[in-house]
Amino acid sequence: MTDALVLTDVRKTYGQREAVHGVSLTVHEGEVFGLIGHNGAGKTTILRMISTILKITSGKIEVYGKDVAKEGDEVRKLISYLPEDAGAYKDLTGRKYLTFIADLFASGQEKDEMVERGIALADLGDKIDFRIDTYSKGMMRRLLIARAIMTSPRLAIMDEVTSGLDVINAYEIREVIREIAKSGVTVVMSSHNMFEVDMLCDRVGMIDQGNLIEVGTPEELKRKYGKETLEEVFVTAVKGA
Amino acid sequence: MSHLGTIVKKEIRELLTPGSIISVFIMVMLFAALGGLIGDEVSKSTVMPVVGIANSDSQTIETEDGEWNAYEFLKNFYLKSGDKRITPENIDQFVIKMDKDDILQQMETSGASVALVLSDDFKKNIEDSLKNEGADRTYLKGEVAQYYVYQPSGMIGGTVSSTVTNALVSYMNSDLSKFITGEEESKYIDFLKYPIESSETYTFVNGEAQSDVTPAEISEALTGQTMFIPMIIMIIIMMVGSIVISSMGSEKENKTLETLLTLPISRTVIVTGKIIAAALVGLIFGLAYMFGMAFYISSITIMAVGDSGLDLGTIGLALGLGDYALIAVSMFLSIACALGICMILGAFAKNYKSAQTMTMPLSILAIIPMFITMFSGWYGSNALIQGVLFAIPFSHPMMATEALLNGDLTLVLAGIAYMAVFAVVSIFVTVRLYSSDILVTGLSQNKYIERIRGTGRKPKKSN
Repeated sequence: MTDALVLTDVRKTYGQREAVHGVSLTVHEGEVFGLIGHNGAGKTTILRMISTILKITSGKIEVYGKDVAKEGDEVRKLISYLPEDAGAYKDLTGRKYLTFIADLFASGQEKDEMVERGIALADLGDKIDFRIDTYSKGMMRRLLIARAIMTSPRLAIMDEVTSGLDVINAYEIREVIREIAKSGVTVVMSSHNMFEVDMLCDRVGMIDQGNLIEVGTPEELKRKYGKETLEEVFVTAVKGA
Repeated sequence: MSHLGTIVKKEIRELLTPGSIISVFIMVMLFAALGGLIGDEVSKSTVMPVVGIANSDSQTIETEDGEWNAYEFLKNFYLKSGDKRITPENIDQFVIKMDKDDILQQMETSGASVALVLSDDFKKNIEDSLKNEGADRTYLKGEVAQYYVYQPSGMIGGTVSSTVTNALVSYMNSDLSKFITGEEESKYIDFLKYPIESSETYTFVNGEAQSDVTPAEISEALTGQTMFIPMIIMIIIMMVGSIVISSMGSEKENKTLETLLTLPISRTVIVTGKIIAAALVGLIFGLAYMFGMAFYISSITIMAVGDSGLDLGTIGLALGLGDYALIAVSMFLSIACALGICMILGAFAKNYKSAQTMTMPLSILAIIPMFITMFSGWYGSNALIQGVLFAIPFSHPMMATEALLNGDLTLVLAGIAYMAVFAVVSIFVTVRLYSSDILVTGLSQNKYIERIRGTGRKPKKSN
């Protein structure tokens, strides 16, 4: 099985405070991997380092064999990152935003097909031609997921992807992620929502105070801790960490 | 389309919104309208005011050679004044006989801004003084009172009437003096008063003697031609700076920056794209402002320095094609420096609002050289101020015209070299910043800042 993502003893220091303490993990190609942890645990920092936004203080991250620290430009061609509460250029319409992104990945017919794929993924109907500042939070999230996926990344990184969405929108977004995973895209996502992670993820990594305290499939973790839900596993793991 | 082209297009689309275009258009119209208003006031000040004259008939001066009447003098004077509105048919609308007991009413009715009232002993004083030939001679002069109606007409309108009236009284004096003494005697008296006159005037300009021109006239002509440049450069720099910093603030506020940084484009392309777009939009807005400012400033210039009518080319003070090319290079580099500074400042902007306050240092850096170059210039400043001027990159295009006219190529070339180094260094720093964590985390989590604040903790290692 090909390794999509490998973290080896990754540390991150902000000023003089270490936020991530030597995290090592491997995500396989086609896997949906969930990072769970409470606020400030270090999930977003890890995702930002994988996405080349933050520098790695020490250790190594490889995306499909490419070193994030040394081959940032190459890594950015393989990934797609969707930050928590991400926005889009509000003066553009949904279609123009997708076209702007597609312009950076392809040209000619390939670009046009990419935009059409994005429009289909966003599923916003005629609102795709409305200005983005008229979109609801759910519509915005759909557009951004479409943006992240239409470029056919090999690794999709999603930070708190359903955060702040209502039940219907969150359900629809989860369905989209399921579809993405079926198409062979590797997904690394973070979430507070244990139910969501349990349903979507093949494997889960639990982060507490910058440390990776557990990794495994939801079923393995539930068995190991003798609990029925991932939420109970997390609480027990954190208290015992 | 190349990645750079895509980024530039995106930035321009974001910057050239209907809102920003409308606000610039309104500003341009306001400047133009203000210039028009000032121009109207200035043009009003250059035409003859409606004047009233009272007591002129009763105070007519009579000598053996004839009579001198103030009203008749004013009529003739107005007809010869060159004011095209005044004709023999309508002269009575400009020079109006008035009754001294009802001055206010008559001034308000006729629209006269000033009335001259000859005193009741005007004629007697002058005629008695003319006859007075004793050893102990005292001369009583004819008195003229001036009446104005105050109207809140602003700085320009308010100063017009008294200046013109004083001139009128002065011309009345000359004319009456000439009438009393006769043409020949008048010339003799003029000779007695001014037995010396200036012949030719020479001013050495860049080592060559130029005749019939004074340093003051040269300064006036230069000021008229160069006072625009510092203002225009200041406006363009502030405009471009504000655009770049706001663009960064807006990226952070709309949470689009993180996405932008993970797209398959190098940080250099992002930085360059933002700089090119801001420069283009800033130039468009700057030119629009210049268009409006041209109306506004030209009115002020005419008022402040007048039209000296001196052709600087005839005294070897005209710029050649090469000079204009140097000024253009200087302007381009100063804008590049401004953009470099702004990209650095913009990296620290948290949102659109904080970006607005970050334009302050840039504005100050643009305003300081503007005032110095407008008031004392490089050559009129002491060494300390010259040092400050040289260090601020935006000073150089502001000073370039004056330096080139003075044949000081060294200063211009030194400025260009300095700005080139400044621009390269600032853009290099910007690219480094864009590759660092500061863009996302801000300064608060920088280790150096933490050390300064004393809030840092030692790294806690764990397994």
